[in-house]
Amino acid sequence: MALLQISEPGKSTMPHEHKRVIGIDLGTTNSLIASVISGSVSILSQLDGVNLLPSIVHYAEDRILIGNEAKEHQVDDVSNTIVSVKRLIGKNINDININNVPLELTDGGGVINIRTRQGLKNPIEVSAEILKKLKLTAEKKLGGELMGAVITVPAYFDDAQRQATKDACKIAGLTILRLINEPTAAAVAYGLDKKSTGNFVIFDLGGGTFDISILNLSEGLFEVLATQGDAQLGGDDFDQKIVSYLAQKYQIDLKDLVNKKNIMLVANQIKESLSTKKDVQVNAEINGTKIKELFTKEKFEEMVQDLISRTILSTKKALHDANLNLNQIDGVVMVGGSTRMTCIQNSVKDLFKQNLLNDLNPDEVVALGAALQADILVGNAEEDLLLLDVTPLSLGIETMGSIVERVIPRNSTLPVAMAQEFTTYKDGQTAMIIHVVQGERELVDDCRSLAKFTLKNIPPMVAGSAKIKVTFQVDTDGLLSVSAEETSTNVKASIEVKPSYGLSENDIKNMLQSSFDLAEDDKLSRSLAEAKIDAEQLIDLTQKAIDEDSDLLTKNESTAIKIAVTEIIAALKTSDTDKINLATKKLNTEGEPFAAKRMDRSIHKALTGQSIKKLEF
Amino acid sequence: MTKNYFEIFNLPEKFDIDLVLLQDNYREIQKKIHPDKFTTSTENEKIQSMIKSTQVNDAYLTMKLPLKRAHYLISLHHKNKKIILPPDFLMQQMEWEEYFESIQTEKEKINEFHKMIKDKKNDYSKLLQNQIDQKKDWDAAAITVHKLQFVEQLVSKISQELLK
Repeated sequence: MALLQISEPGKSTMPHEHKRVIGIDLGTTNSLIASVISGSVSILSQLDGVNLLPSIVHYAEDRILIGNEAKEHQVDDVSNTIVSVKRLIGKNINDININNVPLELTDGGGVINIRTRQGLKNPIEVSAEILKKLKLTAEKKLGGELMGAVITVPAYFDDAQRQATKDACKIAGLTILRLINEPTAAAVAYGLDKKSTGNFVIFDLGGGTFDISILNLSEGLFEVLATQGDAQLGGDDFDQKIVSYLAQKYQIDLKDLVNKKNIMLVANQIKESLSTKKDVQVNAEINGTKIKELFTKEKFEEMVQDLISRTILSTKKALHDANLNLNQIDGVVMVGGSTRMTCIQNSVKDLFKQNLLNDLNPDEVVALGAALQADILVGNAEEDLLLLDVTPLSLGIETMGSIVERVIPRNSTLPVAMAQEFTTYKDGQTAMIIHVVQGERELVDDCRSLAKFTLKNIPPMVAGSAKIKVTFQVDTDGLLSVSAEETSTNVKASIEVKPSYGLSENDIKNMLQSSFDLAEDDKLSRSLAEAKIDAEQLIDLTQKAIDEDSDLLTKNESTAIKIAVTEIIAALKTSDTDKINLATKKLNTEGEPFAAKRMDRSIHKALTGQSIKKLEF
Repeated sequence: MTKNYFEIFNLPEKFDIDLVLLQDNYREIQKKIHPDKFTTSTENEKIQSMIKSTQVNDAYLTMKLPLKRAHYLISLHHKNKKIILPPDFLMQQMEWEEYFESIQTEKEKINEFHKMIKDKKNDYSKLLQNQIDQKKDWDAAAITVHKLQFVEQLVSKISQELLK
């Protein structure tokens, strides 16, 4: 078969150039960025020279400060200085204990609003400010615009929290290559560094979240076997125990935001000192009240015993889910600043009866792993590694009596899809509502409500005869999408989604616009440039696909593709964005059956290579 | 994909399969078709990889778990026939449930019971293997699958209790 002659001379589209990508650890307390530069991964330090950017945003009169600059205001301007925003993202006001948050919070309908002097801000916007700063720093350090980033989230984040994080990236103008789970990122950093194989436990206790993941590491593939955790348990909660103790003993009024902030800082210092010392002498003054006492490690450990027990119980549950015994674990990796607490280390050591792996900096390992993964995803890396991750929480739907029917069980390997059939209960019924929830409990009210879907345009039939197949798909970012179809008549029922949490597409668009006040001309030339790149890339990839598998094309398919390519080349000459996009879309459509056949061939090839290898033995 | 799951993973159509080979083959396939391998590809390839990767995950889960594998094998041969569970097994189920409830606080007895039910589970698995792979007695296998399903659920319930 004659090959297509499509690349213009001297204009080969995408050779093996190095693509600028980063990994971002958007943490509760601190955030970090890392990148692979000439083959080795390292943290990109902030412009002030330190590796950690405190995840703090301060809304001043006329500007927004982030990081250490914002930290300076956390006591003198508490309500305009937002700390630990990650604990609020993807949540509703009813989900959190307002008493633990030194901020003025209000219900924003699907999001929490924080009252600042610059108006109401939601956690997605606040996170976007941190991300913008990180993006800017990375671009300065790497010398140009980023192609994309891998962002890490706690493994135990639910759909709403993941979606909110993704939205924050959009508002910050960051292209997301993937959302990956923090413990999985840590495993990548460790596994690639030490060339380890076997079953590994990643124990990740951060500032505001706790994750435990069990992975099987083999050459070229890391598979998550089970994950467990608690999105409301972190180092902050250990501080909180000290706060409650001191507040009660010294009668300190926590309703006062400044008092609350000050006592939180004292508590944090006590906790950190106790990681290296046996006891600490506290001398502080809060609003005229003198606090003076010797705080011992024993006292602290007694206070936090229930928190430690929660992490150990989660660890046991994860082992149970992974179907492994304690003695089948080859290594335990400690991740997150809060694993510096000796009481945590001792409890984990006691459980596994082996030494813990913590030779990579527990604050940095997640960002490093994310950067390595970003490098692999865009094809920069020579190393080939595939991550198979899982859903942390079961997905279900509401049935009669507010009982949850599980559709996708937790720890299913991604991507995963399940279909469920529904029927009408009234004659002529043309619509129905499906309520999707996430969680392990049996009652709807005990689970997280994710969204309500209204199925419309169901053809009117006798009750019980319509068959509506609803498919729930969770992609490799851990995000849910839903589609529905009436199977007895093949009518695609249309779906209207009403998410229980988060922002609408329109909200995001508005925030994006206010965030980038680009001139109209800039926007136009930018979209034309993007359309051209997309078109050229598609032609290039199509050519490569045909080079590899031309025998899979039928004569008709081949002709259709050729025509579509010619049309793109013609459109490219016009500099008309819409025309180019339309032509690109057409080539995509014409190429669909070919792409499907190629994927089937890949499956077949994967195993024929294998069986030959086996025969040689 | 019109191939059946055994064909996808290049394995003989049997209940007793080589689980290590299954895992190897599954991993080799995902290394080729997982969406992470297509982050810089065309929209078509991204969608196709997502679809096929999802299907392969589903097939792997079915093949990996003995209960699901048995169900699947029976469904290939024994299309939609109704099965009737023997009444003595129903009696047995109730007895076990009642006994388990009566020993809730006695860890020692729970451990013993756990072991006994796990042995039962192994017995049913062996029986199933014989009924499917040797005798090809699909009616009998369908009944054993139901029994196995019950004891598996009971084992996991007891394990949960032991975690507490």
